[in-house]
Amino acid sequence: MELEENSPKQNYTEAEKQTIFHGEFMPHINSMYNFAYRLTLDADDAKDLLQDTYLKAYRFIESFQKGTNAKAWLFRILKNSFINDYRKKSKEPSKVDYQEVESYYNSEEVDRQITPDLRVEALKDMIGDEISNALNALDVDFRTVIILCDLEGFKYEEMAKILDIPIGTVRSRLHRARNLLKEKLSEYAKQMGYKTA
Amino acid sequence: MLQIILDGEATSEQKEHFLKNHLEECMPCYKNYHLEVAIRQLLKTKCCKDAPQELVDDIKTKVINNLAS
Repeated sequence: MELEENSPKQNYTEAEKQTIFHGEFMPHINSMYNFAYRLTLDADDAKDLLQDTYLKAYRFIESFQKGTNAKAWLFRILKNSFINDYRKKSKEPSKVDYQEVESYYNSEEVDRQITPDLRVEALKDMIGDEISNALNALDVDFRTVIILCDLEGFKYEEMAKILDIPIGTVRSRLHRARNLLKEKLSEYAKQMGYKTA
Repeated sequence: MLQIILDGEATSEQKEHFLKNHLEECMPCYKNYHLEVAIRQLLKTKCCKDAPQELVDDIKTKVINNLAS
């Protein structure tokens, strides 16, 4: 399992392991569950994924340097477990051409927002599941970057390490994901009877 | 620019210039900024689930009893 290959293996006593686990890993369990749920979109799979991840984290605890970024370390394990064990191996090719997305968003001209017609007032009235559904409707890789950035507050660099992609890709994927999310919210707003901006 | 400011990746000068100067002059950016802030708030309030307590306890117990190895 690939963890931080360049960090030296630590030597912890059993007591130290317990301290690290309960003090540095357990506090993130709710965030981790949330991520697991958004990845699998299934409560039972999410529970299994979460448990697998935490048990792995304990088994490989000597690859973790105490006091460093436990949250990012854990999220990376979870993401890898998801890809290896839970992600449904789809027979269709990916609908999203990531290469195309990247080159478009890395070009100089595109710092202008492509904002669909969406108003703040419409958002304030979305008191039901609209945002949750909109998020779930995104392709898993787009959903992932929004969760890591907007919900969990990871920086681009941390996201790059968690996802094993270059920072440029993190940014272009985020940009695209946000626009897709806005489009979806725009649709909901129209259904709710809002005039477009 | 808007994205890096909202993501906390901008320098404080960039942030200050954008929020204090630019937003006053640029209506599309002003609208966009508030839209993005509203979306993030919506995400934070509506898209966060806590782990079931039973599961949390189960994991804790397994590790305490060193069943993870």
